[in-house]
Amino acid sequence: MKTEDFLREVTALPGVTGNEGAAAAYIADAFRPWVDEVEITPLHCVVAHKKGDGPKVLVCAHLDEIGMMVSAIEEDGSLRLQSVGGVDPRVLPGMRVRVYAQGGMLLGVVGATPPHLLKDADRKSNYTWDTLYVDLGMSPEQVREKVRPGDTVCFEARYVELKNGRVATKTADDRACVAIMLAAAERLNALRHHADIYFVATCQEEIGSWGALVSGFALAPDYGVAFDVCHADTPGAPANSTSKITSLVTSKGPYLNPFLVKKLEETAKSNGIELQVSVDPRSTATDADELSVTRAGVPTVLLSLPIKYMHTNVETFDMHALTEGARLLALYLAQVEQSWEDELWN
Amino acid sequence: MELKTLCELNGASGNEGAVRKAILEAARPLCDHVRIDRMGNVIAYKKGRTGNRRLMFSAHMDEVGFIILDATDDGLLQFRSVGGIDPRVIVSKYVLVGEKQVKGVIGALAIHLQSAEDRKRVLGYDSLYIDIGAKTKDEALADCPPGSYVYFDSSYQPFGDGCVVSKALDDRVGCYNLLRLLENSYDADVTCAFVTQEEVGLRGAHGAAFDAGADAVIVLEGTTAGDMGDVEKVRRVCEPGKGVTVSFMDNASIANRELYRELLALAEEKGIAAQVKRASTGGNDAGAYQRTQQGVRTCVLSVPCRYIHGPSSVVKLSDVEAQYQLARAFAEQA
Repeated sequence: MKTEDFLREVTALPGVTGNEGAAAAYIADAFRPWVDEVEITPLHCVVAHKKGDGPKVLVCAHLDEIGMMVSAIEEDGSLRLQSVGGVDPRVLPGMRVRVYAQGGMLLGVVGATPPHLLKDADRKSNYTWDTLYVDLGMSPEQVREKVRPGDTVCFEARYVELKNGRVATKTADDRACVAIMLAAAERLNALRHHADIYFVATCQEEIGSWGALVSGFALAPDYGVAFDVCHADTPGAPANSTSKITSLVTSKGPYLNPFLVKKLEETAKSNGIELQVSVDPRSTATDADELSVTRAGVPTVLLSLPIKYMHTNVETFDMHALTEGARLLALYLAQVEQSWEDELWN
Repeated sequence: MELKTLCELNGASGNEGAVRKAILEAARPLCDHVRIDRMGNVIAYKKGRTGNRRLMFSAHMDEVGFIILDATDDGLLQFRSVGGIDPRVIVSKYVLVGEKQVKGVIGALAIHLQSAEDRKRVLGYDSLYIDIGAKTKDEALADCPPGSYVYFDSSYQPFGDGCVVSKALDDRVGCYNLLRLLENSYDADVTCAFVTQEEVGLRGAHGAAFDAGADAVIVLEGTTAGDMGDVEKVRRVCEPGKGVTVSFMDNASIANRELYRELLALAEEKGIAAQVKRASTGGNDAGAYQRTQQGVRTCVLSVPCRYIHGPSSVVKLSDVEAQYQLARAFAEQA
């Protein structure tokens, strides 16, 4: 499958943290042609195993997405929402959403007071979770019959190609990186590799990397590669918090193994792949944090795809950076050797 | 013409060309005479069997939208609204820019990068921009020069219990029903005016009103509903599902009292769902008709519309039908 087609379809699927079944099933099917075994774990991680006779490497990108849950149904039939992961409530007014009720998906609209009814004070404060609601266009009785508190609510799915290979979509975080893993798995079929590779599309990253935690325990890898998104340059961003959107980023800092980072940089350089460096003095806020301290410890690197407008329905990335990411990941994995074990802390 | 087709056409105030063209073509076979006037309004005239009365129905073709001002050095487009759009509803929305319909998004700083003050601050037009993926100012302005109009990239979708969600329901519902009115024949002479520039000051209607020469003008509108969520009861203007609204007054005009009573009585007599628009919010073309030349009697019939002036406004189709039925019943009265 072409990467664009995979991305268009996989980003449209619902997969709010804790309710990732549909996204997991689709991703598992996509990996099957390129690996030896695919499994979906009880928590909805997808584990795709590409066998090798060398060190065991766990590569992960998370398949869950930020979203919402119905927290209450008001008397007028409007739904109140609770955030799952860090949703910015400022992006919601006027947005269409999908409510995944037991009987099927319902289209909803996040209400917003029209300008004609606004008071001056309203215009000066943002909507909050307390004032936002979803309108299902039904009577309160109909709403109560179909919807229950706890039902998952997703952003509407769009996939729009902008200029210069940029793409705006929901859930580029982090299914764009799942697409990178998939494309790397495909590329590895044309490369020789010793590494025994587990591509894991992890669940429950957005509330604390729990999928990476349990996958790391279950698979007991020698090395880890976490693949997530980072912030691309955006007006108003604090200094040193963003990277150029046009190429990948690797992180340096105590959570990441310096030898493996060096190997990654060498691979990029010798293959003409642009790789930016970002510095994480402490937590990386990705699966790398949990993965690197799983069991007795897993030396880990972090690769990131820069996106604009993270945690919105218009997350924007550069397709060229994504393609280069797949190339770098495949080439890096093809280089992993048993001998690295001796050099790891030298 | 389908309501969906009308809503998905793009036509902000001053840029109504696509809507005008579609309406002109649809109206031509339905009426005796159709013309475009000095303000770009489409005026469709249908001679009556007896010509005992001269009635005019009016709806506006334009919708709220945006217009490009300039671009930043790194290729982000700066813009303002055309008509009233609360900037709080445009963050993180998909848009189409300019004649080439260039795709873009209205982005904003990610939540992770916001300070505590950032989160409280309302993003106004000075701090919002449209990202089309351009890398430089020149590249951005090449396809989207200053003055380019911008639209919500927002489809028409049926949902819920007989509702639809779309941009531009205000006032394509009125245009839709005007075209339907032209399909019938009447004793009265009937003029249907599809007017421009309502959202920026009732400008098209002033021109149409000058030439109107009608005994009464009925304005077909979409009006703000505000019946859900936390809007106080006193400001809940009207409710979708309860029929067409009849206005006694708004911020631009006062309905002719006899006309207002006549329309409410007619709705009751014919069993057409109708409700009184309770609060005097907003204003519309009735203000222009009422005060041009020697003045003319007016009344406004509106479809209640939630989240008006945004990418996702909502109407109930039974209310659109009620607006048509009441306007038609009025036209058919002897």
